[in-house]
Amino acid sequence: MQTLTDNALMMKVKSGDLDKLGLLYERHKKKLFGFFYNMGNNPSVSEDLVQNVFVRILKYRQSYSGEGPFTAWMFSMARNVNYDHHKKVSKEGVSWGISPEDVEKGTGDYLNEAMDHQGDSLLLNRALGLLSSDKREILLLSKYRELKFQEIGEILGCTEGAAKVRVHRALKDLKTIFLQLETR
Amino acid sequence: MMDEKKFEIQAMDFMSGNMSDTEAKDFERFLKEHVEYREKYDELLKAWELLQTMQAPEPSENMDKAFFDMLSAEMEREQRTAPKQNVISMLTGIFRPQWAIGVFLLLMGLGIGYFLRPEGETIPIQNMAANNETEEVRQKLVLTLLDQPSANQRLQGVSEANKFENADDIVIKALLKTLNSDPNVNVRLAAIESLTNYVNKPEVRQGLVQSIPNQESPILQITLANLMVALQEKASIEPFKQLLKEKQLDTTVKKRIERSIESII
Repeated sequence: MQTLTDNALMMKVKSGDLDKLGLLYERHKKKLFGFFYNMGNNPSVSEDLVQNVFVRILKYRQSYSGEGPFTAWMFSMARNVNYDHHKKVSKEGVSWGISPEDVEKGTGDYLNEAMDHQGDSLLLNRALGLLSSDKREILLLSKYRELKFQEIGEILGCTEGAAKVRVHRALKDLKTIFLQLETR
Repeated sequence: MMDEKKFEIQAMDFMSGNMSDTEAKDFERFLKEHVEYREKYDELLKAWELLQTMQAPEPSENMDKAFFDMLSAEMEREQRTAPKQNVISMLTGIFRPQWAIGVFLLLMGLGIGYFLRPEGETIPIQNMAANNETEEVRQKLVLTLLDQPSANQRLQGVSEANKFENADDIVIKALLKTLNSDPNVNVRLAAIESLTNYVNKPEVRQGLVQSIPNQESPILQITLANLMVALQEKASIEPFKQLLKEKQLDTTVKKRIERSIESII
């Protein structure tokens, strides 16, 4: 029912009740932030990109048809925002995608289990960073389990079956890279 | 054995709970029967769980602030354009009935005005009627005056005839008759002047031409000669020649007429 409500909220935003975008923002900001962050953007850039997604949602609200879940629409915008950002950044020749954690992660000096757990998480982030951006993207899109494979396929422009296969293989690759990093 | 791709798809479906019960049971049985796929699936599941453990830091409060600033700015902008529409719609809302009444009253006024118009126009009609009446009266007056024995009154009659905006045939005939037969030179002269108002009428021109041989007075002969030159009336040449042959003319008049004939030719 969550998606239905999302859709209803978005339809309200479309009809001029902009206030409702605040609710949608509260619901999805973490997911979007996580998406951008795990796509390799540093936190402040990720925050900007989340902002950009909602600016776009406002700008293109009239094009929202209400068909399909809101999250699919939102993530396809997020994907474009990320793509545009990286295109712009690479044009400007600025390095990107190095989050502060990346800088720390080489130390490997973890004192306790809690730190170990965090170390796992950092390792995972690193593994994810080593995946191709396509695979990273599809994993992040499927992570939240809100999008059906069919919708992921639509966002990426492929069939449902192809989306499943791609997620499967991306997972396999992730696991492999993670294990490699772990044993190193 | 199973096609790799098919396995990948089914594994994803199974893992994400996209399968129907029977399909899920079939797949489970398949995994039990095939150890290598079982392992593959376990790996996949671990990777999936690993992915789920992936964390991202919490976004800072700056993000919220920036977002709500943006949203309120957008809403303000929207409202700034919206009030304009509101004002317009309010105005139309307020004034539409008044406008309708206004338009209705205007149309009523026009309608009433239209029906009252004939009354309004009775004055011009009366004027026209009065004009017609005065024309008739004047016509009678002219005809009566032209018949008077007093040259003075006949002159008055001719000058009355000048007042017609458009003299009818009766008046013109009367004027021509005066021109041809009136004993007084001044009256005849006045008749010519009066008739010059209607030289565009063929019968007037014809009448003037025909009167040429009848004229005894030099002043009339010269006046007619001038008029014919002005009109370039070729038909007047014969009567002038006749006049030159038959009558004992004043030498000035004679020269004048000869010159007129030349200029007309």
